[in-house]
Amino acid sequence: MNRAFLIPAIVVFVFLFVIPLGQSFYWSLTDFTGYDPELSFIGLANYSTILNDPSMLAGLGFTLMFAVGTMVVVTLVAIPLAVQMNKAFFGKNFVRSLWFFPAVPSMAILGLVWSYILSPLPSGVLNTLLNRWFGVDAVSWLSDDTLARWSVVFVGVWAQAGWHAVLYLAYLQSIPHEYYEVAKIDGASPRQQFFGITLPLLTPAMVISSFLLLTNGLKVFDLPYTLTGGGPGFSTYTITQSIIVSGVSQGRYGLASALAVMFTVAVGVIGFSQLKLTSVISRRFV
Amino acid sequence: MLLSIGMIAAAILIGVPLYYILVNSFKTQADMVTSPLGLPQEWFFGNWQDTLTDAGMYRSFANTIYVTVLGVALQLVVGAMAAYAMIISSSRTTKILGAVLLLGFIVPGQSTMIPLYRTLVGFNLVDDLNGLVVMYLGGSIFCYFLIQGYMRTLPFEVIEAARIDGASANQIFWRIVLPLIKPILVTVGVFQTMWVWNDFLLPTVFISSPQKKTVVLEVYNAVSEFTTDWPAFMTVTVVALIPMVVFFIFTQRHIVSGLLSGSVKG
Repeated sequence: MNRAFLIPAIVVFVFLFVIPLGQSFYWSLTDFTGYDPELSFIGLANYSTILNDPSMLAGLGFTLMFAVGTMVVVTLVAIPLAVQMNKAFFGKNFVRSLWFFPAVPSMAILGLVWSYILSPLPSGVLNTLLNRWFGVDAVSWLSDDTLARWSVVFVGVWAQAGWHAVLYLAYLQSIPHEYYEVAKIDGASPRQQFFGITLPLLTPAMVISSFLLLTNGLKVFDLPYTLTGGGPGFSTYTITQSIIVSGVSQGRYGLASALAVMFTVAVGVIGFSQLKLTSVISRRFV
Repeated sequence: MLLSIGMIAAAILIGVPLYYILVNSFKTQADMVTSPLGLPQEWFFGNWQDTLTDAGMYRSFANTIYVTVLGVALQLVVGAMAAYAMIISSSRTTKILGAVLLLGFIVPGQSTMIPLYRTLVGFNLVDDLNGLVVMYLGGSIFCYFLIQGYMRTLPFEVIEAARIDGASANQIFWRIVLPLIKPILVTVGVFQTMWVWNDFLLPTVFISSPQKKTVVLEVYNAVSEFTTDWPAFMTVTVVALIPMVVFFIFTQRHIVSGLLSGSVKG
């Protein structure tokens, strides 16, 4: 009787995960277009198409760059920020809330807001201010390949740094105060205390935070899509955008499915390595 | 003192984009071009008047509320039911099932989107708000995961006592278990609300009619509509962000605890 309570979850799991994943895998080996019910097996042809298509390769490349870029920069910003937030100062709650807030609204809307700020036109906000204060000519923030990529990463960091700082803060607060007192008596400098006590004890938090940043980064879609639309050219194209364009808009189900399968495997491998890494690290430090 | 000034300055820098859209919603186009960050030379309420009298904006709010309330409520019920069954009957089969369900936690939505799109076309659920609700049901697995973690910390004597008194499994679930797990339901609910309310991926793929747009989609489309009229777009954005600010003020504590429980266990 009690097992009946499992039925809704099983139905959700079968219809929203098992069947579609199976279909994705099956279609990835076919030339299915959605219109023609006659589909034929084409083996791994879809996979080789992906590896030769410039737009899809660009999507893979930028998605990786975004995931790794935000992971590294957010971590470098969030840890010092958390250390500062852990001290007592006037306006602490205000500071924490303001840093944290960008993680709350929709990334799509924030991407649109930043598209006005970073507009490459001379009338863009940043360009207007740079021109007025420093006499700089209009910078092509979103219309130059490299600048556009870094602009997307920058906005991603802006939106997530405070959130991850709060995560680190929780771990910082669990470090016993005596550790620092003993270190001070032994004459350790603040710098030595940070590298000798704080950083090693933050390792579990770093593992979790970087895992979240990496997996969320791989799934990124909203931000580049609303900020740059994937451009200029395909420079800020993402895997998700490729899946939607080739699958839903162009009806190339086989191709989109192959991309989805590759994506699932990539996320799975990263998730698995993360689990391994966590157990190795926690055995060392805890 | 120095730390205070430094931190407040850094935080204000982070907040500038939010100040920017708010202040420009009270400017005319010309005023905004001359001073993008200054206060309005003359407070202009035309943008607000246009936005607040736009029926499309209200409809998009109604659509989003419908999808969010129904979607999150169903996710919580499905997740809580599964967690309850898992805790009560801990046989080997249920344990294996629990481990298998976790796969749904790892698989990204993008991987299942294309086949589900085809399936929903077959059920006439594409371009339908209920279709979105069905898609968001995938989040019940995440709910299940967090709820069962919380349930393990609960005293089981209460449930045993109720069973001995002759309460049915149904009565125990709705009358005893759900009230007991209210704290985790609130935390998970807040998290899932943020996801569903803010989601752009699924509405942009599944919704095409103007009458069925969610708020985020409405704002996205406003951009192409107001290509040159930036202050008009800023106003629409501010209106869309107001509920999130209010939500943030009231749930900040839950968001932080959810962030920690979700990440610590994930």
